[in-house]
Amino acid sequence: MTDAMLSSEKRNRAWLRPSVMISISAVVVAGLLGLFLIFAIGVSVSDALSAFIEGTLGSPYAIAASINRSIAFALVGIGFVIANRANLVNVGGEGQIAVGGIAATAVALYGGVADLPAGLPFMIPLLAALIAGMIWASIAGILKIKVGTNEVISTLLLSFIAVWLLYWCVQSPAILRKPMTSSATLPESLEIPDSTKLPLLTGDYSFPVNVGLPATVIIAIVGGLLLTKSLFGVQLRAVGFNPVAASRAGISYSRMVLLALAVAGALGGLAGGFMLLGDQYVLKDGFSSGYGFDGLVAGLLARGSVVGVIAAALLFGFLRSGGINMEMVAGVPTALVMVIQGLIVVTLAGAAFFIGRRP
Amino acid sequence: MTWELFAVFIGSSVRLAVPLLLAGTGELVSERAGVLNMSIEGMMLTGAFGAAVGAWATGNPAVGLLIGIVAVVPIALLQALLSNTLRANQIVTGIGINILVLGATTLGYREIFGARSREQIPGLAKWSPPLLGDIPVFGEAVFQQVWLLYLGIVIIVLTALVLRYTALGIAIHAAGAEPRAADKSGVSVTRIRYMGVMFAGFMSALAGAFLSIGDIHTFTEGMTRGAGYLAIAAVIFGKWTLTGTVLACLLFGAATALQFQLPTLGVNVPNAFLIMLPYLLALLAVGGLAGRQTAPRALGEAYIRR
Repeated sequence: MTDAMLSSEKRNRAWLRPSVMISISAVVVAGLLGLFLIFAIGVSVSDALSAFIEGTLGSPYAIAASINRSIAFALVGIGFVIANRANLVNVGGEGQIAVGGIAATAVALYGGVADLPAGLPFMIPLLAALIAGMIWASIAGILKIKVGTNEVISTLLLSFIAVWLLYWCVQSPAILRKPMTSSATLPESLEIPDSTKLPLLTGDYSFPVNVGLPATVIIAIVGGLLLTKSLFGVQLRAVGFNPVAASRAGISYSRMVLLALAVAGALGGLAGGFMLLGDQYVLKDGFSSGYGFDGLVAGLLARGSVVGVIAAALLFGFLRSGGINMEMVAGVPTALVMVIQGLIVVTLAGAAFFIGRRP
Repeated sequence: MTWELFAVFIGSSVRLAVPLLLAGTGELVSERAGVLNMSIEGMMLTGAFGAAVGAWATGNPAVGLLIGIVAVVPIALLQALLSNTLRANQIVTGIGINILVLGATTLGYREIFGARSREQIPGLAKWSPPLLGDIPVFGEAVFQQVWLLYLGIVIIVLTALVLRYTALGIAIHAAGAEPRAADKSGVSVTRIRYMGVMFAGFMSALAGAFLSIGDIHTFTEGMTRGAGYLAIAAVIFGKWTLTGTVLACLLFGAATALQFQLPTLGVNVPNAFLIMLPYLLALLAVGGLAGRQTAPRALGEAYIRR
């Protein structure tokens, strides 16, 4: 081994931390099991893999679609990590995305924002999405500090409620369903006005990555700094570690719980806003399906690090895109991706024992 | 509302409450022993899938029920191992298992049923108790139910007796409230908690089987649709007592039954609101209707023997 290699090993020492190694091994082991399952259901592994690669890296469009998914996962995941720093588990990502999408659509279509000057037509709906997600998660925060309701169960139930709220919005012409001209009118909203769609970075629909990407990068940097360098981060950690000691030190438990969940919800809502204004353009039933859990798993896998969230979000974004193409081309059900994710989470939960740290 | 419609409403409320009652009773025992078993949803789905596959393959729904129970054993063992022996975060474990099971059953369903997805699966027979079944109007609408319902009632009553009057019941309570004291007095906390999780698995398997081969005679992807989480909410709403949990489950069952009943009465409420109602009620229930919460003191914490 040369000296240069040794020093680069030293620099990359962060990668050798047991927790990081365990995250990586969990992903590798689950991935191998996934390959075995493809083999077990009788699909040619090479066909499946080539469909997977085609769906992830095969075209600029595929790459952009994967990145757009990753953005939503990353935002939910960063929110999860922030709340988790205060020892809170936000399982309500899906509901927060759903209410964000509803709010963004409502404001974009009926908020009279379409003719405002530059930027405002999409920024106001995004703000609405952010606030909607924040309010949704704050309900869980208020229940937690007022009656001690476990946030896991309340955010989960709020997710179910939000998903049916979404269904209600697109089913009822009195809310967001487009005017019914015939019995064949689909249960979905009108398409949002062009001025409210997020600008594309390249201006070209063959590579539809929008301004959500740079915005998410900025949010990730700010989130990372907040957690590691700010007083807020220290206070979150103090409350998460020992609420009694924290309150002796003058840190309000209630305030931190509410803030942490509000931030997580705001990021979830924003993810819904980006999805709607950035690549969906039409509100449909089930548009948020699965996104909340993918973001949550990204957050878990990251073990508290924002860099880790980004890596996991990219992994899952590409995994999802590849999975969809595998289903269409090679006939491998996308449920396989869920099996892989479940295995990752279970392995991580169990592995914490061996490195003496809880995820 | 006529008496006939009222009878049908009561009957369907009870039928829709059964999966919650069974799973909720299992969850109650697990939580009383100190394990917050979030994987009820996944256990129910496994039971539903195993029972459906078993009943379809053998043509015998009773064998299907057994296969459903056996299918849940590895899932329950995994949950018990992770939350007791490996002291993993119980919430994370539950979420992981639920994702894994949703993926695995969907995959298995596509592989096994695939094109035959609309095929009816042989289901459990109905039974109505003598005398009760002969009551005019109510007899048929309320009491003629799948026999698993009556078996479930028997198990729930037995559970109540065990929790209240036996040494095992006291040991379960102690393992969740004062594990260290329980350990000092010679109770194996770990063994009690393993048993609690395994019992929750068994009850969830019955609950899932009731959904697939008891009620609709088929399996659909992710068919539990959050019933497991409703069962957990029912335990919280019931303040960790069996009577309270049972009442909460019946309430959620009635709320679910409304979505089929109100339209027939000509009441014009949006369908989406009615589907949402049980979850909304559950949220209200865990969010204050029940008052301050009195969970077992060591709930969710792994026990480390010194």
